[in-house]
Amino acid sequence: MSSLDWVVLAGSLVFIVVYGVWRGRGSKDLDGYLLAGRRMRWYTIALSIMATQASAITFLSAPGLGYADGVRFVQFYLGLPIAMVVLCATAVPIYHRLKVYTAYEYLENRFDLKTRSIAAVLFLIQRGLAAGLTIYAPSLILSVLLGWNIYWTNLVIGVLVIIYTTSGGTKAVGYTHFLQMLIIMSGMGLAFALILRALPAELGFGDAVFVAGEMGRLNAIDFSFDPNNRYTFWSGIIGGFFLQLSYFGTDQSQVGRYLTGRSVTQSRLGLLFNGFIKVPMQFAILFLGAMVFVFYQFVAPPVFFNPVEEQKLREGVHAEEFAGLEERHQEVFEVKQQRIRNLLSARRAGDPGAIVAAGAELKQTVREAEEIRTRTAELIRANDPQANASDTNYIFLNFVIHFLPIGVVGLVLAAIFAASMSSTAAELNALASTSFVDVQKRIFGRGGGGEVRASRFLTVLWGAFAIAFAEYASRLGSLIEAVNILGSLVYGTILGIFMVAFLFRRVGGNAVFTAAVLAEIAVVCCFLFTGISFLWYNVIGCVLVAVLSLLLQPVLPGSQKEIAGAA
Amino acid sequence: VSDRKPPGKHSTEERPPLGSWARLYALEFVNLAALVILFYLLTKSFE
Repeated sequence: MSSLDWVVLAGSLVFIVVYGVWRGRGSKDLDGYLLAGRRMRWYTIALSIMATQASAITFLSAPGLGYADGVRFVQFYLGLPIAMVVLCATAVPIYHRLKVYTAYEYLENRFDLKTRSIAAVLFLIQRGLAAGLTIYAPSLILSVLLGWNIYWTNLVIGVLVIIYTTSGGTKAVGYTHFLQMLIIMSGMGLAFALILRALPAELGFGDAVFVAGEMGRLNAIDFSFDPNNRYTFWSGIIGGFFLQLSYFGTDQSQVGRYLTGRSVTQSRLGLLFNGFIKVPMQFAILFLGAMVFVFYQFVAPPVFFNPVEEQKLREGVHAEEFAGLEERHQEVFEVKQQRIRNLLSARRAGDPGAIVAAGAELKQTVREAEEIRTRTAELIRANDPQANASDTNYIFLNFVIHFLPIGVVGLVLAAIFAASMSSTAAELNALASTSFVDVQKRIFGRGGGGEVRASRFLTVLWGAFAIAFAEYASRLGSLIEAVNILGSLVYGTILGIFMVAFLFRRVGGNAVFTAAVLAEIAVVCCFLFTGISFLWYNVIGCVLVAVLSLLLQPVLPGSQKEIAGAA
Repeated sequence: VSDRKPPGKHSTEERPPLGSWARLYALEFVNLAALVILFYLLTKSFE
């Protein structure tokens, strides 16, 4: 990295922290510290919601998915706009009317303390572990590609976030989200423009789109109904809807963002704006990956984008076979390049028959190239069973480091840091809110004076835990995947509790609590003993809580509190 | 719950853009439908 890149990166990070501390000053009571005094406008809420959801991995992994698998991942977000509408019509007015600090407070109002507690505790476990991974995941990629020390990278991200989140609370988080989204959008927008400029001069934008489409990278919609296929229209619109509904409606890191709205209208507009923008934004990031793919049709890519794993393979027992694969990879690359030029000539000549013939030849070469990548991944796994055999997260950053100009590299890295910090800040803020309001103050009755001081202390504590978990994560091996999937294991159950609260007014706390415990056991069994895609866990957990609550209510009555207008 | 502030009517609400929430929600669905159609056409054009 050049000095200019370091200046851009360091300058951006220092500016974010100073801006956060400055904008967050003056929070003297709990309302000011945990809810920014409920004074935020819709555009700040909208960008804050988007910055919370978009972690560094979003900007590293999504272009890699666009490269390796095409843009079909966009279907994952199709349920999001529907979820935004449902939340605006149901949860937002209720949360505002009750003036709650956390989503879980509402559950005690509607059911009882034990139902509030189970939802709060499930959230604290899941989000507490996820906060560590939000720091660890980008640090790992940066350390592999840039040779940075992973422990120091974890520490720098974590400490910077703790400084402004502790100092200014939710107000600092909201305003820095605004700034961070501007940095992220500038970095990604500039990278996109420069990728198009880096394509061969004879290749226009239309040609690039045509090549990406012919090579299977513009596969945006798949209407097949296969529960084991992770990304289809149906899994996105149904499974994605339930996932987004639980994430935005019951996860305090998101609920805490729109509770800061100065009115129901401002909170609703923030959510709806997110619903308008999220799907096209995600498509743009995936499309960027597809353009990186087109770029690498004219500049030879590495066989595997993770240089550390590639090096281990070169030095391992499978070195000879890998050398053969590299040689074949180069041959296939040259043939493929010629066939792309044939396809483009046929397109320019406007000859449909020649286009079909050239397209078929090209697809054959693409299959050969994919076979080489698949075999390389198999060798990496055979060489080291603990190794990560997917290089998706490394593709975009690898391109940035090697092909983008000085200064822009620093800006893209600043965008990645900003994304990591924005998600982590929202998580620490939500963890502190929930552990103070739902645990310390409600269960142990330790409220009273010094509420802001106690919330600050909890923010530092959760921040320290997140950093410690990030430092330890590299030793967890395959457990990382389990932690990643934890969100899907608990979201459905939590959503089910909230759905019963909103829709079934005759169901009480005993029935919903028992149903939640049984549903959680069933979801864990699905994870352990079936191959069902994780998006469906949200549907299963939610439906089970709803159905079991209705069945159990006649035999487990009691703890029922009705909220006027809750249905 | 002892620490909760008393529930009350929410503060003065501004009118939503387009005049009503139902229209705004409908616009959200129309936007989603338009995106799905665009994605479908994109996919079909390369099949």
